[in-house]
Amino acid sequence: MTSIEKFLQNAVTPWMGSRGEHSDIVLSTRIRLARNLAGHRFPLDFSREEAEDVERQAAAVLTGEDNSFSCIPMDSMPALKRQVLVEKHLISPQLADPERPGTVILSDDESISIMINEEDHIRIQVIYPGLHLMEAYEQADELDDRLEAKLPYAFDGDFGYITSCPTNTGTGLRASVMLHLPALSMTNNMGRIAQAVSRLGMVVRGSYGEGSDALGNVYQVSNQITLGKSERDILKDLLDLTERLIEQEERARRALLERTSVKLEDRIWRSYGILSNARVLATDEAATRLSDVRLGIDLGIIEGVDVSVLNELMIFMQPAFLQQFAGETLQPGERDVFRAKLIRERIGMERGMEDKTEE
Amino acid sequence: MICDHCHERPASVVVTQSKNGKTQERHLCDVCAAHFHPFQGDFGNDPFGIQQFLSNWIVGAAAQQAGRPQTVEEGAECPTCGLTFKRFLERGKFGCPDCYSAFREELPQVFRKVQNGHVEHTGKVPESFSGRVAAERKIAELRGLMQEAIGSEEFEEAARVRDEIRQLERSLAEGGDQVDLD
Repeated sequence: MTSIEKFLQNAVTPWMGSRGEHSDIVLSTRIRLARNLAGHRFPLDFSREEAEDVERQAAAVLTGEDNSFSCIPMDSMPALKRQVLVEKHLISPQLADPERPGTVILSDDESISIMINEEDHIRIQVIYPGLHLMEAYEQADELDDRLEAKLPYAFDGDFGYITSCPTNTGTGLRASVMLHLPALSMTNNMGRIAQAVSRLGMVVRGSYGEGSDALGNVYQVSNQITLGKSERDILKDLLDLTERLIEQEERARRALLERTSVKLEDRIWRSYGILSNARVLATDEAATRLSDVRLGIDLGIIEGVDVSVLNELMIFMQPAFLQQFAGETLQPGERDVFRAKLIRERIGMERGMEDKTEE
Repeated sequence: MICDHCHERPASVVVTQSKNGKTQERHLCDVCAAHFHPFQGDFGNDPFGIQQFLSNWIVGAAAQQAGRPQTVEEGAECPTCGLTFKRFLERGKFGCPDCYSAFREELPQVFRKVQNGHVEHTGKVPESFSGRVAAERKIAELRGLMQEAIGSEEFEEAARVRDEIRQLERSLAEGGDQVDLD
């Protein structure tokens, strides 16, 4: 087994898979429910004793009855491991802060992560590959019911689920989909779309969160309003919007193919050439090239490389993963070298598999 | 991209500034951004800077009420955690679940701002709570019936409904929660 195969064995999370509805455009679906316990201050102000009490109560519900969950306190993990969880979107950067008490309860397949004592006492998070808003919500809702049956949730008749920040009050639900929109980006349509989306009470942003540029043309679309709309309506509106974005992206792809087919093919194959051969790759460039290659696969221009490779690589090219792959701490310059190596080997591995099947 | 200011750390924030009609973009790292724009703070996953938003709002309100400055001082104080309404607006985060009751009067204004005009929850209700909510709705309905009965001078019926209301109120109170039915 090569080093890259060993690394992948431990690193791949199901949500990076290529299955799921509309998985050529929708990379993943995420549901987050914010919940708090009555009688405890919120994590911004609480004492260590309160933190421990919240943690004990929540952990008892989930790890008590079945053993498909593991409870991992942040202070039990080295910084690099925490960063890896952040890069996999399983925990937030805030939870990973070693100065604060925090714990994550992870399901074995990593599709469920429950953050304890982040901004709220409990944040239930479910991530699915592809577009699966309703299914992911049902999973989160079921967990919520299990927790609610045993825990004294803070709930208000007027304002709904009580949260630390008033932007989460009500349903505590943040639903988001991660979309790969290369054609809409290339045709300079994203600015216009972001404006239109904000008028619908939803937000579009780069996939690495706020203020981040859309690295690799990956955008996150989520609901902004949590109060005054039912969960179903929030999900339905987001689903409608996502479907419209998929339609627009598909139309833009067709238009690009029709009008600038040679140029587009050239760009895609150049990017493929760079990813397969480069010795130094910075994050920005790697993301742009991965986006091109992925588009090439979706359009049938490049064959024999699985799309999931691109999903994985977008995650694995981040600093903490690279360092885990390298097995040592890397300076920024060294990271670019390892990033190039990782991508080269992973794409080479795909090609190797293809050759074997042809034999 | 490297930070435009320190040229050391990777840039993570884009700051757009307008000066004399010209817009300028600067790419800064967290450290430099915090130095130049100390009011940005950590917004977690919120789509916009709520503290800033809320504190601008109270400054606006204070300016309006310049003739009566004492009305916007600390505001209500949460009996459980001691957070004042003013402090809540400054930092944009509640202190504990009881803050919601302490600031109940002011909260619709806050939610109107940050939740696109919405002030009332219409989604999921925990099972343990739904009994109470149902009882409250029933009481409201019965009060309407009682008024109607009084209006049509059916006092016997009105008294019967009143007793039913009292009984429901008692059972709610015994449930441990003080219910404000007005």
